[in-house]
Amino acid sequence: MPLLETRDITVRFGGNTAVDGVGLTMDEGRITGLIGPNGAGKTTMFNTITGLQKPASGQVLLDGADITGLSPAKRARRGMARTFQRLELFLSLSVRDNVRVAGDVLRSAGRKRFDVDEATDKVLERTGLTDIAGRDVSDIPIGRARVVEVARALMTSPRVLLLDEPASGQTERETEAFAEMLAGLAGEGLAICLVEHDLPLVMRLCSTIHVLDYGELIASGTPQEVRESPKVIAAYIGTEEAVS
Amino acid sequence: MTTFLTYTILGLVLGAVYSIAASGLVLTYNTSGIFNFAHGAQAMFGTFLYWQFQQWGWPAWLALVAVIGVVGPAMGAALHTVIMKGLRGTADVTKIIVTVAVLLGTVYLAQWVWDPDEARTVDMFFGTGAKISVGGVEVRYHELVCLAAAVAIAAGLRVLFTRTRAGVVMRGSVDDPDLLRLNGHDPERAAMLSWALGSTLAVTAGVLIVPISGGALDADQLTLLVIDAFAAAMFGRLRSIPRTFAGAMVLGLAANYVLAYLPSAGTFTGNLRVSLPMIILFVVLVVLPQDRLRGAAVRTRERYRPPTVRSAAVWGAVLIAGVYLYSLLLSDSGITTFALGMTFAIIALSLTVLTGYAGELNLAPLSFGAVATVVAFHFGVHGTGLDARLNVQGILLAVVAAALVGGLVALPALRLRGLYLALATLAFGEFLSNMVLRDTTEHKLFGIKFTLFPGGSLVVPPLRIGPLDLRDGTSSLMTATVLFALIGIGLAALRSSGYGRRLAAMKDSPAATAMLGQNLVRLKLSVFMISAAIAGLGGVLMASATGTVAQENFTFVGSLGLLMLVVVAGIGYISGALAGGLMAGVGSAVLVATFNDLALGHESMANVYTALGHLVLVMTALVGMGVGRNPSGFVHDIADSYRSLRGARPVLYGGGAVGAVLYVLAVTGVIGAWTFAIAALCVVMLLPVVGRMVMEERGSRETPLELAGVDEPYTDELRGKLDRALGLPAAHRPARPAPALRGEANAPA
Repeated sequence: MPLLETRDITVRFGGNTAVDGVGLTMDEGRITGLIGPNGAGKTTMFNTITGLQKPASGQVLLDGADITGLSPAKRARRGMARTFQRLELFLSLSVRDNVRVAGDVLRSAGRKRFDVDEATDKVLERTGLTDIAGRDVSDIPIGRARVVEVARALMTSPRVLLLDEPASGQTERETEAFAEMLAGLAGEGLAICLVEHDLPLVMRLCSTIHVLDYGELIASGTPQEVRESPKVIAAYIGTEEAVS
Repeated sequence: MTTFLTYTILGLVLGAVYSIAASGLVLTYNTSGIFNFAHGAQAMFGTFLYWQFQQWGWPAWLALVAVIGVVGPAMGAALHTVIMKGLRGTADVTKIIVTVAVLLGTVYLAQWVWDPDEARTVDMFFGTGAKISVGGVEVRYHELVCLAAAVAIAAGLRVLFTRTRAGVVMRGSVDDPDLLRLNGHDPERAAMLSWALGSTLAVTAGVLIVPISGGALDADQLTLLVIDAFAAAMFGRLRSIPRTFAGAMVLGLAANYVLAYLPSAGTFTGNLRVSLPMIILFVVLVVLPQDRLRGAAVRTRERYRPPTVRSAAVWGAVLIAGVYLYSLLLSDSGITTFALGMTFAIIALSLTVLTGYAGELNLAPLSFGAVATVVAFHFGVHGTGLDARLNVQGILLAVVAAALVGGLVALPALRLRGLYLALATLAFGEFLSNMVLRDTTEHKLFGIKFTLFPGGSLVVPPLRIGPLDLRDGTSSLMTATVLFALIGIGLAALRSSGYGRRLAAMKDSPAATAMLGQNLVRLKLSVFMISAAIAGLGGVLMASATGTVAQENFTFVGSLGLLMLVVVAGIGYISGALAGGLMAGVGSAVLVATFNDLALGHESMANVYTALGHLVLVMTALVGMGVGRNPSGFVHDIADSYRSLRGARPVLYGGGAVGAVLYVLAVTGVIGAWTFAIAALCVVMLLPVVGRMVMEERGSRETPLELAGVDEPYTDELRGKLDRALGLPAAHRPARPAPALRGEANAPA
């Protein structure tokens, strides 16, 4: 059984159908890719999975349980975490406090024995942010700001991690370290879903890739299968006629 | 049956006017994203001008054409151009405060121009005698005009928004101004048009509503009357014009049926009628569907540096010592006024935690003070006459009551955006003001007889805890100061705790905070209750420092004035609460009173001094309107300028010495307490300026090489330096201006 599953999700904005009957799965210990051209509905899918967007129809299942009606906070407490494409960092807090506040939330929600400081240090170390821990989060380069979002999400000890374009704005070297970290996290059993425009990165990391186009799922499968799908090729570079 | 028909027609007429006012509000909100709290004040100002024009002998129709055709649009366009345009990209709180400042400024200005003690009336169109008969009920022409105008405006707006190009551009200008610009439209023009139109609708509503609600023209009353239309706008979720129209009708009818069918004995029914729109506003809030959680829609420009607990404690001690030393200079009445100001500062702290830390708004902080005062009066007073005292249990109970009421008020709005919480507090403030603080009749509940607000005013005696008796002015002042310092330190500790970080996170990005598992409603509820408790404590102390309080001590305008001053001072800072609270409690009161005294004392200059008194009020509102440009407040700027003084110790010591000399002069009576206060303030303000001058003279600062040419002209000397730093053979380069850089350097020798 997949850890996270969406069934037949449809999302409408007024008369515009942004996502049309999409079913996805994500497995424990695997990195799943979600790709597609701009406006394909990737972020809308993330918003629906995390509860920020109400679907017109369809279900979201976590570990077999229907969580479609739950609030974002309740989903988070069940082990869902995400980053945002448009960065949503807490601008009045330092890098360290951005990460630590996730621990503060956990503690306030009942984990009394939880040592927030120690856990924060661990996550900062793991994500390679220790050197800028004291900096204002608005002063750091965008590539590293994206890592802060990942660190903050990791601080909630999630089971499912949804990453919305985490590598955009990163330098090549940063992306390299980032890919290594993701592989390591998946190795520990985390289910990761990656929305990303850096296709080589997606092809290298993901075991399964879902492709969206105009709100519809046009292909799902291994990187090899997806790469050879005529529909995917058409969506990304246009059909033969369109090109000529 | 005739009764029913009469009141139905009156209700529809009132609803028609509400709908005109409410649609103007919806219009500006949808095109500029700004909820205009000053809408009622604009209506009021236009109506006063309408009255004034007629006083000058203009015929009614000409006055009407002038205010609706010229004054309304001009006022809206000016507001947009001068103030509202600059608010794009600021936090919701800032937008609300700016419109609140416009409201206050307009009301102050109107009270300056048109003495509120004089009675004025506005007549119906065609006079009260012109009427027709419908089913045995007389309907005046004026009422028919109201109905016709409302229908025409509703239809016109609907067409404008859905059918015309200008309307579509207006709708788009709030969603994505950049996209509109790319498509060749001018979002600013659309926004200006909508402000002009909105303002015209407000003025129209004002001119129509005064005659049907008695005819008396009063600045405060009229402003509030149009605010009632907020509830109608809420029916349409601030979006839909037809639903706003329907809501306005419900509101108008309900108000009139209450009048028709409820017993008119006592004050209850009349009070209920007045507060009905606010009650309905509250009910609508409860049933509104939940908003979609949003991320940080704006990257706020506000910057706050939270203090450490240690520095808060140090500054708290400094404050207590300073206030004590200053109190030695003051007369008894001065001390009493100062103590009153300090209680306002405590109420202001409630805004620091709520708005500064958590980013939520409370537009009626004084109302929570009123709740606590009523509770303390009923349950905390023992002894009678001069021996009457408040006890600690009473105050504790009052604080708990304020927190609980705060929770109840906030709960329905917490699922919604910050604006709705602000509106809920506004509704509560109005409700309390009309239903509780005017409730002088005796009630009987479960066999117990009680009167909420006996006689229309409460005598709140001073507090006594064991040997500490606050009848004495100095101990009252010092107690308030110590309490302010303690709460301030507590807030600093709160801000640097996990709870404080969660508040900051929620303020910065609600969506991201929810994704960490935080229940936002619970967090908002808790912080609102803390805030209401602090406001309650400050309110009781304020009431007891005042001695006798009435409805006028807890008005909507008073609450808004306090909020605005705290924002201007710096709502994220404890020192901002101190400065803002003192300004609200002491500042304007003392300044205005002083000018009034001066006016009485020097009859030849009376006009000048009275004008100065009014000017002070209008000026503070003007400063409030400018808060969009400096949302962090002036305390932030002062703190920043002092930070740069760290390198100039002698200047600091010098400043301290001047302060000490001034103090000695004041103690020995050479200069008065006021002179001392003003001189000391000047020293505080001027010190950073002096420091900067001294530091520049020393010339220790050298421009870093990479910035050469940015702040100062790029000279050959600098070029040589740069070349040397880069290791280029610069020594034998000919001293020639710019062209050398362009081509020749690369040209073969």
